[in-house]
Amino acid sequence: MSVSLSAKQVVKRYGGVVALADGNLEVEAGEVLALLGANGSGKSTLSKIITGVVAPNEGQLHLDGKLVSFSSPNDARKVGITAVYQELSLIPDMTVMENIWLTHEPRTLWRVNKAAMRRGTRDLLALFDGTISAGLTPDALVKDLPPDERQIVEICKALSHQPRLVILDEATASLDSQQVQRLYELVQDWKARGMAIVFVSHRMEEIRLFADRATVLRNGRSVGTRDLANTTDSELVEMMIEGAAQLGERTRAPLPDDAPVRLKVSALRGARLRNISFEAHDGELLGIGGLHGQGQSELLLALFGAIPFSGSVVLSGKSVHFRHPRQAMACDVAFVPGDRATEGLLLSRSILENLHLPSWAKFGTPLKMDRARADAQRSVEELQLVAESLDALASSLSGGNAQKVVIGKWLLRSPKLLLLNDPTKGVDVGAKGEFYQLLDKLRQSGAAIILYSSDDDELIGLCDRVLVFHDGRLTAELAGDQVTRANLVTASMGAHPAAQPQ
Amino acid sequence: MLANTPVSTDTASAPNSVLHAVRRFISKNPFVVALLLLVVTALVNRALQDNLFELRSLNRNLRTFLPAIILAVGQTIVVIGGGVDLSVGAMVSMVNAIFTVLITQESTGLEIAGVLLIGAAAGIAAGALNGFAVAYLRLQPIVTTYATSFLFSGLALLILPRPGGDIADSLQDLYRSTPFDIPFSVFVIGGLIVVWLILRSTRWAQFLYATGGKPEAAYTTGVPVNRIRFSTYVLCGLFAAIAALAYTMLTGSGNPRSGDDMTLATIVAVVLGGTRLSGGQGGVIGTIIGVIILRLFSNIVSFADVPSWWQTLVNAVIILVALAAPGIIRAVQARRSGQ
Repeated sequence: MSVSLSAKQVVKRYGGVVALADGNLEVEAGEVLALLGANGSGKSTLSKIITGVVAPNEGQLHLDGKLVSFSSPNDARKVGITAVYQELSLIPDMTVMENIWLTHEPRTLWRVNKAAMRRGTRDLLALFDGTISAGLTPDALVKDLPPDERQIVEICKALSHQPRLVILDEATASLDSQQVQRLYELVQDWKARGMAIVFVSHRMEEIRLFADRATVLRNGRSVGTRDLANTTDSELVEMMIEGAAQLGERTRAPLPDDAPVRLKVSALRGARLRNISFEAHDGELLGIGGLHGQGQSELLLALFGAIPFSGSVVLSGKSVHFRHPRQAMACDVAFVPGDRATEGLLLSRSILENLHLPSWAKFGTPLKMDRARADAQRSVEELQLVAESLDALASSLSGGNAQKVVIGKWLLRSPKLLLLNDPTKGVDVGAKGEFYQLLDKLRQSGAAIILYSSDDDELIGLCDRVLVFHDGRLTAELAGDQVTRANLVTASMGAHPAAQPQ
Repeated sequence: MLANTPVSTDTASAPNSVLHAVRRFISKNPFVVALLLLVVTALVNRALQDNLFELRSLNRNLRTFLPAIILAVGQTIVVIGGGVDLSVGAMVSMVNAIFTVLITQESTGLEIAGVLLIGAAAGIAAGALNGFAVAYLRLQPIVTTYATSFLFSGLALLILPRPGGDIADSLQDLYRSTPFDIPFSVFVIGGLIVVWLILRSTRWAQFLYATGGKPEAAYTTGVPVNRIRFSTYVLCGLFAAIAALAYTMLTGSGNPRSGDDMTLATIVAVVLGGTRLSGGQGGVIGTIIGVIILRLFSNIVSFADVPSWWQTLVNAVIILVALAAPGIIRAVQARRSGQ
């Protein structure tokens, strides 16, 4: 059952955003290849292309030396490729066994053979015996299972297809250590039987445990493959973060001790947030880090009044509790959303309209269009926006320029507190540089900025202080020299309290 | 290991294991609640109408309910698949018009069989139009089927401008018959349940629930999501044609507006029967019970001399509550976790 797969120069674009610019990898029977890279480096996109979920714009896939192309996950599965996905591909309202056997249910005549399904499911679950609870039965509904057991069902689902190549995409993220150990034993067995495994993760420890070689992705490009046995962590990290030089050294003068407090948050709780307390100062760029989805976005949304929360928030010396973004805007708070296309821009409207959307009130009734135009023109120059004209549609802008409009519309209101929700996701490196200058200018003008970024390099290069989140909690507050990749990674795991919050 | 949030909230809200078991049973058999409601409505109705459970009255009731029951079965399938069909009533009108124009007192058995095929084809074609627009053109189900309902209504009026027609007595007699002292409509309802149970046991049903439950996950797993969506509307069109046949046999004549007020009733029945409007869950048996509850309720309304707009009002409230419930529950949960 030997197998080999190679991807060459694979490209995937979503509109103007390049998710994968040059994806390459090779994996052989009996080995585990790790796909390594920072958040948003294209790991998931590349694995989705290999499994046929996403169709690439360019590039080639070779399976056992033959050129293949998949137009659906089914195509890939037919030739023996399956994946365990990070965002689970399970249907919550269906049972464990229905989920596992979906699309290849055992049948007698036209009837789905439930007994055979149950038997097959028991056999698969038996692989995890001793690490799962009694509640995980073939007839349990997936929505009633805890996250770790859902993940195990997802793994069983991939195995039920008897694949030759398995992609484990962050498959260990919600497993406990015992379950990870069991998965490790299983993977050893798969290797021995000639399967190939692609292991996608950003946990160095597990990559070292599972994988033989690692292919590193950076900004959507494969930047090299190394044998893990003779490569140090720091060499790998270097490959992942090269280009961080773009951000310059940390040469900024430290924040004066007497910088006024713009925002003081105490004991904030909400959707995913557990007891968050911190301060942000005028002229400070406060970073928020940690793995994806640990409550960072929720914090920003709560501060902007977009989701309910409890706790105390003191803004500019006044106690506030925003229940609607309008209230936050009235207090000079601005929010730059993470998803440009859905939250940040009206794609089918002009640049002018997009820029002024939050500030039309300034221009009276009827609107003084001449003044609005002049203002917009000035900010276009300030932002160094490359666009045909103010009347061009927002959808015609490239990723970086679109991002400038998203931010520019808030800068026109000269905010005192700017909240940024992972603003550079999918923005190319050059545009990022200009964006950083913009942030710096704003910081110098005395605004307090809170930046959530899934890109650790940004946090290291830009921020005065960084708060690290794990599972809705603040696990560390790093300042000055403490803001290092090692500390960020450690704190984001939540488990190793090397750098405790004060 | 991450916190087992789903488990812990479950035990917190249902500390009593009996209560938990009951909730589990209901979530696995969503029509149980509908069944209880049916018993209550039937008893109230019986109190107002002594002969309710006598064969003649049972037969009359069930045969007038039957068109809506058949139609609601089609609606249920669409709703489970994550859609909705607001054109079902208009499809009934259209096929009813076709039957009325083509079947007369003199029609032979063979001719009638041919006409039934034409009617079925019309229903399937109408459903295929809806399905194509929703599944492949990705149009909003509500808007699409609302729009096509005008198309089908228009065709009904074109085929049969005013009520009339006189179809073969043999069809009407069959519809009213009570073989073995059991109303004909009971056999049809039994047939519907058998058909559903057969469908339910196929791979297609697994795909149906997966598509309605979480389409992205279903797609990733390799479920032909578009084809399944398309098939739900086609099946719904076929059931509309059968409902139109039942209506034609019931009245012996045609009316280009015959299905107009059935659409809302089918959706209310789906909800009453325990099928979630957002899809991925539920079943046909609950819906059948739902239709019977609704119709018994309108019996009660007419026996109790209550103005009939109460019926419409209650229908509207049931739908609004069903639509609002998830939002209200979410808001309550968000508030709770925010404190």
